[in-house]
Amino acid sequence: MERALKRMILGNQAIAYGALAAGVDVVTGYPGTPSSEVIPEIIRYAAQNNPAPYAEWSVNEKVAVEIAAAAAWSGKRAMATMKMSGCNVAADSILSIAYSGTRGGLVFYIADDPGAEAGMPEQDTRVFAQWAGLPVLETESPQQAYDVCSFAFDLSERTELPVIVRSVTSVAHEMELVEADFLYAPLKRDPVFDRDIERFTKAGSAICTQQHRNLLRRLEKAEEIIHGQNINRWLKNDSSLSVVSAGNVNPFVSECLSSTDGISVLYLQATYPIDRRALDEVFSCSARILVLEELEPVVERMVRSEASLHGWKGEIFGKLDARLPRVGKYTQGVIRKGLYLLASGGDGIDADVETYPAHAEESAEDIPAVKHPITFCAGCPHRGTYLALNRALKKNKLDRGETIVTGDIGCTILGMNPPFDSCWTEVSMGSSIGFAQGFMRAGMEKPVIATIGDSTFFHAGVQPLINAVQHRSDILLIILDNGWTSMTGFQVNPGTVETLQPPGQTRVDIVQVVRSLGVDVVETMHPFSQDQAADIMDRLLMMKGVRVIISQEECALVRMRREPRNIHYAIDSDTCTFCKACMRETVCPALVPVFDEDSGSEAGGKKNKGVMTIDPDLCTGCGLCATCCRFRAIHPAREEVHV
Amino acid sequence: MFKFKSLYLCGLGGQGVLTFAKIIGNTAVKTGYRVRVFNAKGMAQRGGRVSSEIRMTSDPACTYGSRIGEGGADVLICLEIGEAINALPYLREGGTAVLLDYASVSAQNILKNEPYPTLSQVESAFAARTDCIRTVLHPRRPYNIYTLGFFGSVIDGMPDLLPGIDSSSLKAALKSTLKRSLEQNLDVFQKGMESGGVRAVLT
Repeated sequence: MERALKRMILGNQAIAYGALAAGVDVVTGYPGTPSSEVIPEIIRYAAQNNPAPYAEWSVNEKVAVEIAAAAAWSGKRAMATMKMSGCNVAADSILSIAYSGTRGGLVFYIADDPGAEAGMPEQDTRVFAQWAGLPVLETESPQQAYDVCSFAFDLSERTELPVIVRSVTSVAHEMELVEADFLYAPLKRDPVFDRDIERFTKAGSAICTQQHRNLLRRLEKAEEIIHGQNINRWLKNDSSLSVVSAGNVNPFVSECLSSTDGISVLYLQATYPIDRRALDEVFSCSARILVLEELEPVVERMVRSEASLHGWKGEIFGKLDARLPRVGKYTQGVIRKGLYLLASGGDGIDADVETYPAHAEESAEDIPAVKHPITFCAGCPHRGTYLALNRALKKNKLDRGETIVTGDIGCTILGMNPPFDSCWTEVSMGSSIGFAQGFMRAGMEKPVIATIGDSTFFHAGVQPLINAVQHRSDILLIILDNGWTSMTGFQVNPGTVETLQPPGQTRVDIVQVVRSLGVDVVETMHPFSQDQAADIMDRLLMMKGVRVIISQEECALVRMRREPRNIHYAIDSDTCTFCKACMRETVCPALVPVFDEDSGSEAGGKKNKGVMTIDPDLCTGCGLCATCCRFRAIHPAREEVHV
Repeated sequence: MFKFKSLYLCGLGGQGVLTFAKIIGNTAVKTGYRVRVFNAKGMAQRGGRVSSEIRMTSDPACTYGSRIGEGGADVLICLEIGEAINALPYLREGGTAVLLDYASVSAQNILKNEPYPTLSQVESAFAARTDCIRTVLHPRRPYNIYTLGFFGSVIDGMPDLLPGIDSSSLKAALKSTLKRSLEQNLDVFQKGMESGGVRAVLT
C-alpha cells in the first residue's frame, strides 16, 4: 500500500528510504561515521513491515560488498553502505566486481567526510570511482538523496554497472522534511545466477581485457543515460561567466549567486562519468569557468581536459591553479571567494565584484580556543584496561615513553590521551597487530604491545594475529572486548552476547577464536578487578611468544541504557585531602572538583583547596576511582537510583 | 517573507543540543518554513563538542546549503561558555547571542591549572561582534530545555528575529517532540521563560 512519507529525517535515513522505494532486497554494511544510519533504518523498517528487505551489519566492508554483489548477480537489488575508509577495505572486490558488472541493481553507498569532522583522511570517493570505473551520483540534501538513491538502482540495471551514491557529512548528518509517495514493493524476481565464466571469473587475459572493454562501454552508456535524463541541471544565463559545481556544493552556489549577475551554472549530480555534451554547452557560451567542488579537483580535471580537447580558449578557475582549497569543506566563504575570482577575472579588474565581497577575515580574538579533550565515558571499561596496563608497566620498571603500544580504530584509541598516554599509533582497522610485529622485527628491546577493540578485531585483526602465531612473533595483544561497535553508535558485532543479537543470529566467541589460532598464552580479565587485571598483565608482559589478553566488560553506555545501575560511588568529604589522584589517574567525567571560595583567582591561580565529588547522575559504579585513593575516601553508596 | 535565517547551537555531549535543535526544527516546519538541520555529533558521547546548524526559509523557491559558514549565524546559542568562544566566529556582525552561564572545565585543564574563560571574558569577546547578548544566569537542568524557555522569552521580545516563531510555538513543538518526562520539562521551560536573563553589562 502506498503511504505518504513526510518526516524530518537524516540524509542517511533518506538513503534508506530511497533504497526501499527502489525495492531493494539485500542491504549490508559496516558502521563508519558518517554512513552508519542507513542500515538501522532498514532494520527498523524490516522489524515492523512485511515484506521487507534483508539487512545486516557485516563483519567488514569487503564482506558486505561481496554479499550485496552476489545478490545483485542473482538478479536482486542490493546495496552496501560504508564510510570512505571502508571503501578501501572493499576495494579489491569492488574493482573486480566492476569488470563483471551486475544484473540486478547494485548500489554502493559511500560517505566522505570533507573537513574530517569525524576523523580519518579527507579521502575523495570520486577518485576511487574513476579508478574502479563506476558511475557516481552525488547527494545535495535528504530530499534529493532519497530521489537519487532510488534512481541509482535504475541506472545500475540499465548500464549493468554497480553505481556509487556518494554522500558527505554535511548531507548524511543533516535533517530535512522529506516528502514522497513511498511504497516498498520488491520486484519479486526469482534468484537466477547463470554460470558464465567469461563474465564472472578473471581467468586469463582474454577474459579480463574483454571485461575491461565491457566496463568502458557500460560507462559510455551511463553517460548517455545521465545526459538523456537531465540528471545534471544547466541554468543558462546571459553573461559569459559560468560555474560548474558538484554535489553538495550545489545548494551553496544557489544561495550565494545573485539573481542579477547573469552567471550560468551547470549543477552536477552525476560527477562520473561527466556529461561531456553538457560541458560542450558550457564551453560554447563561456569566456571563464569556475569549478566548485569539495576535496580533490576531480570535475575540474575533466573540465580542463575536455576544454583542451575542444581547443576552448577561455580561463578556468579552481584548485589546480591554487586559487581554491583542496582541504576542508566548502561553505559560503569559499563559494563567495570563487565567485569573486570568476567575476573579477582573478585580478579584480572588471565585472561587478561588489556582489561577492571577499569573506571577512577572522577578527583576532584575545581568548584562545577552548579545548574539551575527548576521553573515555564515565564507567568505560577501557579506562580500567589502560589503568591496569600502566600499573603493570610501572611494576616492571618499564617507562611509558619507551614501551610501544600500537593502537587501533574505535573507542580503544582514546588510550592515546592523558593520563593513560598509552597508544603510539593509529593507522587503519586491525593495523595495531601488524604494526606491533613490525616494531618487534625492527629489534625493539622492550616488549611491544598492541591494543584493539572487539569489532575491529573481527573486522581485520584475525589475519594479522594468524601471522603473528605462524612467525612466532613476540607481541602482547590486548583485546578490549566491550561487546559492541561503540564508537559509531553501538552497533551489534559478531561478539555481542547471544541474547542481544538480532533474531536468528548467533554469537562468535572471541576467546574461542583466539585459542583456536594456536596463540601461546590466552588470558581473560575484568578491567574493573584491578588487582587481578594488573597481575595478569604483569605475568604476560615480559614473556616471549604471542600472548593475548581479552579484557571483557560490556560498554557502560549500552548497559546503562538497558538496565539502570543500582550502585554508585561517593567521596567522604572529611577524608578527601583533595590530592586529585583519582582525577589524575582516571580523568573520569563523573569526578567533579568543588573549589573553596578562596581557592585561587578566577584566571588560573593555584586551586588547591576544595573537595572532590562524584556526580551521581554520571557515575556507573565501576569503582576505578576508589582504586586510586590511598586515603580510602571513596566508597560505594548503595542506594536505589530512580531514573 | 525572509530569504533565510540561520541558527547555530553548540554545547557538549550530554547537554541536549540535538534535542534543542530538533525542537526548533520542528517548530519551523510547523510554522510552514523549509528547514535544514545539520548535526555535528561525532564525539557526543565522549564529552566532546556538539553543534547543530539550523537554516530556515519562508521562500519555497529558495535553495541554500545545509551549513552556516563563518559569520553566517543570525542567532548563536551556546550551552557552555568555553564552546561559546569556539563558536563565536560563526556569529554574524550584529547577530543575537544567547549564552548560558555554565562552564565544563576538563580534568586535564584542572590538573594543569590552566586558565578557563570566565563569563565576563566571553561576553566581552562577543561584544566585539554584537551588542545583542542575552545571558542565562543560574541555569537549571536540563540546560537545553531551560535555555529553550529563555530563548522563547527572547524571541517574544524580538518578533523579527525568527518571524512567526514565538514561545508558544516552541512550547507546542516541545510537547510533540519530547516523549519522556514531559511535565517536568514543561516546568523547566516555563522557569527558563521567566528567568529574565540579563543583557551583558560591559565595562
